[in-house]
Amino acid sequence: MRENLFAAKNISVIKKAFREYYFNQSKAIEEPLKMEQREFGFAHFGQAGMLRHLSFKSMKELDAMLVREAPSDVYCSNAYYRIPTQQPMQEKQWLGADLIFDIDGKDLGMPCVPSHSYSVCINCGYGSPPEKHKERSSYSCPSCGCKKADYVSIPCSKCIDGSKKEARRLVDFLLGDIGLEHSAIHVYFSGNNGFHVHINDDAFISLDPQARSDLVGYLSGTGLMLESIGLRKTNTEDLFSIKLPKSGLAFGWRRRIAERLKIDMASAIKLKNIVNQNGGYNAFKVELDRLARDMGVRIDPQVTTDVHRVFRMPGTLNSKSGLSKTKSSDLNSFDPFVDACLLGDGKVSVKVKTPVKLKLKRNSFNVSKESAEMPTYAAVYLMCKGLAEAN
Amino acid sequence: MAGSDLAKYPFLNEAGAYLRESNFGWEELDRPDMKHIIDRAAERIEIEVNGKIYDNLERYEIEILTFLISLVIVKSISIEQVLRKFALAEARRAEKFLTEDLRKQSEIKRRSVFTKIFEDLFKLRILISEDQRLFKVRVIDYLARASHFNEQEWKLINRLVHNGYVYLDADETVRLIRNELAVLIYDKVRAMTLPTLPQGIKSRADELRLKFLPRYERRASAAVTDYPPCIKHALEVMNKGDNLPHSARVMLATYMLAIGKPVDEIVSMFENAPDFNEKITRYQVEHLAGMKGSHTKYSVPSCDKLRNENLCFATAECDTLINPIQFGRKKK
Repeated sequence: MRENLFAAKNISVIKKAFREYYFNQSKAIEEPLKMEQREFGFAHFGQAGMLRHLSFKSMKELDAMLVREAPSDVYCSNAYYRIPTQQPMQEKQWLGADLIFDIDGKDLGMPCVPSHSYSVCINCGYGSPPEKHKERSSYSCPSCGCKKADYVSIPCSKCIDGSKKEARRLVDFLLGDIGLEHSAIHVYFSGNNGFHVHINDDAFISLDPQARSDLVGYLSGTGLMLESIGLRKTNTEDLFSIKLPKSGLAFGWRRRIAERLKIDMASAIKLKNIVNQNGGYNAFKVELDRLARDMGVRIDPQVTTDVHRVFRMPGTLNSKSGLSKTKSSDLNSFDPFVDACLLGDGKVSVKVKTPVKLKLKRNSFNVSKESAEMPTYAAVYLMCKGLAEAN
Repeated sequence: MAGSDLAKYPFLNEAGAYLRESNFGWEELDRPDMKHIIDRAAERIEIEVNGKIYDNLERYEIEILTFLISLVIVKSISIEQVLRKFALAEARRAEKFLTEDLRKQSEIKRRSVFTKIFEDLFKLRILISEDQRLFKVRVIDYLARASHFNEQEWKLINRLVHNGYVYLDADETVRLIRNELAVLIYDKVRAMTLPTLPQGIKSRADELRLKFLPRYERRASAAVTDYPPCIKHALEVMNKGDNLPHSARVMLATYMLAIGKPVDEIVSMFENAPDFNEKITRYQVEHLAGMKGSHTKYSVPSCDKLRNENLCFATAECDTLINPIQFGRKKK
């Protein structure tokens, strides 16, 4: 689908901007640890699929390729392999993989999304502003009558704050429960609408997918048993007894739940009442499950458990936005629309598909006319989103 | 290490050193006074292959030899399932002694046994909790082991976790290494090369082999009587023409392949998907079946994985399952 967004004229403008970035800002690209053991992958503008199973011995070699090819997206494996170029996968000889978490803004169900989601007809490319097609099921293209559209979101500051909140919560879990050092946790803006959290700790490299899945369950609050906080089901349907755990409620998930329910080691009767008020053992089980998921971190489980995945490389550009995957050392002050907006500001003339509002590099753009001239970084952003075409 | 420890933990390297120092030779096994030990070894194997733990404990000179002869007989029986059952039961026997030792002995003593077994053999460092009531292991060491246990209570979320450590009592700490103990014993038998066996041992091994053989002949395959709720849910979504996430499609296809549905039939199940493309679906199903690409046959995702991906819709009948494939199966 995405390759349709990139008409030939657009490709030439975006590629030029990307190439200029890779030529001028090669230092922004982070050298991965043990580069020679990594698998690299690229996507190219206007072409479907990804070119994988590549290897680079040095950053110099990679930089030269980026300037030469100006790919739409650049990926590097979390895994270390003895022979990264070998195929099929099992012949690469897996040596381990970095632990990485993905927080995707679009999975957070932010209520503001419909107010900044533009519809683009999949048939004729006609764009409509957010207020036009709030009900997706009733979409009908004003130009050709087609019933299907792509919805393009221009994330707002609330969306970014939502992702930041999840990232902070994840970091708290990793520090306080899992015992990681601050210096081992690296938070990156994904380049579009979310954050990637990379862990740099050798101890986690050898974990298999099952162990990573168990860790994901812990962080996301999945699978918490009532028995963990002292409830025991008796043989009779829906009856239970309470025996608070000998080892206490002071740490980890037990602490979180105890705080939420306002109980402590002297609260056996109170807990019993809470369970009964919720409708008994089975009903409280559903409630606890909801509570735990709500207090857990919304991370994509597939991403963390995949030990053969290629990830967007830090410092490279994201073709969904033209923004860069950028490290955030302080989430409070980090503004992706400033700190990750690194393309040039030479003027580009574009034709927008629909009136559109955006703010990049502290400049607001409120484009209501069909044709507009704007800085490269803003023009590329709109073209990458499929909301504008090069004139 | 005391003799009593060697009697309980005869798999330790010190037990082998004891045998070498005492100049033990295979020919000694034909001596009449060895009959008692050979009998014990045969009894131990029979009890353990039947799923129980052999809990008789004698002095270490006898235990070390009994253990060695058990290994020789199991090797000679040469039935994979017998070896697996024996290794697991031996691990549980050691687990029982370790737990008792941990509960009873003084702190210095229990630390030394621990250091030896946990740290030397399995690279697992055990610390005592701040209040001296529990043990603690690093989260990473816990995950590497317990994530392979099936019971929900072993999931990290159901453990006391703080500052990089998981807190466990004596039984739980020892349970962590049961599988590794079993693998250690399994590997010991696998790595053995048998000399020409004394008649006394050979005949006992043959006897046991004849006894066990019929039990492990190929079992009849099981038939599926009903789909598990996760699969039913995916089929409902699909039939309504709603979009099913990629992970749910993988679950559905691998499940159908595992119960033996032909590729054509599986492909047609996806016909209602809003983005259905027969060619792509066929390629993907064949890929999962191991007929395309890397020729890896994909298995059905575990219940655990499905829970994490919000694809689990467990009912009471799912209680003890660890994989959807086990649902509704009955032996013919």
